[in-house]
Amino acid sequence: MRTQRLTSYSYLLLGLFFMGVFTFIPVFLSAYLSLFRWNVSSPEPAFTWFSNYLEVFKAPLFWLVLRNNFIYAFTTIPVSMCLALFLAILVNQKMGTIKSFYRVSLFYPTMIPMVAAAMLWVWIFNPGLGIFNYYLGFLGVPRIEWLYDMRYALIAIIIMSIWKNFGYYMLIFLAGLQSIPNHYYEAAAIEGAGGWKKFRYITLPMLAPATLFVFVVAIISSFQVFDQVFIMTQGGPGDRTNVLVFYIYQHAFRFWDLGMGSTLTTLFILGLLFAIWLVFRVIGRKVYYEV
Amino acid sequence: MRKIIFLVTVFFFITGLLSTSEIWAQKEKGKPKLLRLTFYYPVGVAGPLARVIGEMTDKFNKEHEGRIEVVPVYSGDYDPTMQKVQTAIMAGNPPDIFMVEISELPTLLAMDSVLSLDDYVKKLGKEYWDDFFPPFRENAVIGGKVYGIPFQRSTPVLYWNKEVFKAAGLDPEKPPKTWNELKDYATKLTVRDAKSGDVKQWGVTISGGWNDWLFEAFVRQNGSFLISADGLTANFDSKESIEALDFWVELKHRLKVGPPHSTWGSTPPDFVGGRTALLYHSTGILTFLKRSAKFDFGVTFMPQKKTFGAAVGGANLMIAKKIPKERQEAAWKYIEWMSNVKNTAEWSAASGYVAVRQSAYDDPVMKEHVSKNPEYLVARDQLKFAHGKMMAKNFQKVREILKRQLDDSAAGKIVPAEALKIAQKEIQAVIK
Repeated sequence: MRTQRLTSYSYLLLGLFFMGVFTFIPVFLSAYLSLFRWNVSSPEPAFTWFSNYLEVFKAPLFWLVLRNNFIYAFTTIPVSMCLALFLAILVNQKMGTIKSFYRVSLFYPTMIPMVAAAMLWVWIFNPGLGIFNYYLGFLGVPRIEWLYDMRYALIAIIIMSIWKNFGYYMLIFLAGLQSIPNHYYEAAAIEGAGGWKKFRYITLPMLAPATLFVFVVAIISSFQVFDQVFIMTQGGPGDRTNVLVFYIYQHAFRFWDLGMGSTLTTLFILGLLFAIWLVFRVIGRKVYYEV
Repeated sequence: MRKIIFLVTVFFFITGLLSTSEIWAQKEKGKPKLLRLTFYYPVGVAGPLARVIGEMTDKFNKEHEGRIEVVPVYSGDYDPTMQKVQTAIMAGNPPDIFMVEISELPTLLAMDSVLSLDDYVKKLGKEYWDDFFPPFRENAVIGGKVYGIPFQRSTPVLYWNKEVFKAAGLDPEKPPKTWNELKDYATKLTVRDAKSGDVKQWGVTISGGWNDWLFEAFVRQNGSFLISADGLTANFDSKESIEALDFWVELKHRLKVGPPHSTWGSTPPDFVGGRTALLYHSTGILTFLKRSAKFDFGVTFMPQKKTFGAAVGGANLMIAKKIPKERQEAAWKYIEWMSNVKNTAEWSAASGYVAVRQSAYDDPVMKEHVSKNPEYLVARDQLKFAHGKMMAKNFQKVREILKRQLDDSAAGKIVPAEALKIAQKEIQAVIK
């Protein structure tokens, strides 16, 4: 028994080593550094207690960034999850060989790198030459400046991100759907349940673990959004697409304000941990796992 | 148990490998002196300029074979280059030679990371240093000491599409010369869809992305400046600056003859695609436009208010302070070579950047180049009216603050006087 435990720990050791070097140490180090003033004006770190935190909350830009990120999260998460579920159910139907074609084409955006996709969408959103306005034109929508208009830039990023992310969620839903035993549906059919009732009382509850997983992943990824902002707008125009990670990046690597960057990082990690704890507390208990 | 032994062996094997590579590195040091220098450089405009730098450096390395080898490292746009240089400096392993955007000098000095080149420059005498165009020299000097050698340098200019001038009934050979003419022309050149009112062709595009740099040009044209030459006093809410911003708001918001926002990379294709009749952009895109535009276009000075005016831009060659003396000497040899008359001429002809030395324009390569393409001389001639670019500590923050106010003003969210008052307060706080 003892040796068995020892062996399993020794297996974990390597993983723990890399986690430690690349995750835990940096996390605690940045929490520690967040108590220092360390930037271009003060090249030697100076201990200043929590003054960085006060400065963060005092900056109006921080609240705008937070607002942008919450708008992004509250739109991308429900829309991409509903879309993913809907399409997963659709491609799970019996429809012969064409099915795999559909699955691949729906999953395709997830497979291309985010940076490449972002470059592509810069052109799709181009007001004069892009196809997005071209097609909207058929619907009678007047020309929109998308990435160059303060009112629409964030919406453009949201549209692009939903397109990019829903395929991954769809795949998880699809796996969940396929693990639901067919006899539940057969039993329900014998009892005379219709399509909606089957969905409501079998599919949805059985998908709960997959849904919880997708939800947590979606929350994390919606607060980690960075690549598309970096490529498409650089946070502009007028900071209307500036989001948390980009804001951290600006402080740490553009302004070279390491104290401030560490402070924002620490707040970011705490916020995200809290959000996920909340999700597991509120929803996690209701999820039923079939053993 | 065997597994533990196995893991332990792997561990020692890896650490063993690491220490042998250490020994290898030391052996390398013991060899007869070949100094291998790293050179970080950006390419701020479109084009195969990385190849040109590579070819020039190869030539230098051949001439110094066995003694010096410069390894050029393309480090992206201006911002990523500055980040990489800063990161390397913080990590105590700076590139020996680097080229960063000119306004970053005070930040680098605050980090005590740039070598003063005074002694080297003095040794070459007056005819070396005084040969650089005066406005280019300004951003290389702080407190009377030289820290950089001008190399990849530009100014913004105005491009105009001659064909759409004709279509609008304007003389295609007469670009706007004053702000008032600019407003007038831009209004005439804006084409809207008769039914929906959508703009099909903008009159004038003042590019975003580096709009802080273009704004400085407008302030110069109105006879004022944004940050004092010593980099310590902000002057963003002067009457002249407010007037300049109000002129932008008039074009972009009230008359709607120019897009309120855009990016630095998107506007040259817009011009090529006929989406805008007039374009404010760097002279560095001239080669790209010449290759891509299917119509006749012209290059001219940016229109004047009280005077013609511009802030110079680009990057200077610099040497890291915290490297051994012999490496500094070798780095200087490279910079001296790169900045000789022949090479500055060659670089200018290949890139479209302004040749930094006045005598480069007497070089036969350059003479032939500009006799075929006289439009390359516009930026040089505009230098008579150009000034050093504003520079200060924390310049990246300065840019972000200013750009935010410029963007908000252009969208009509805030009036210019108020926007610049905020900019003044915030910027003064970060540069002092």
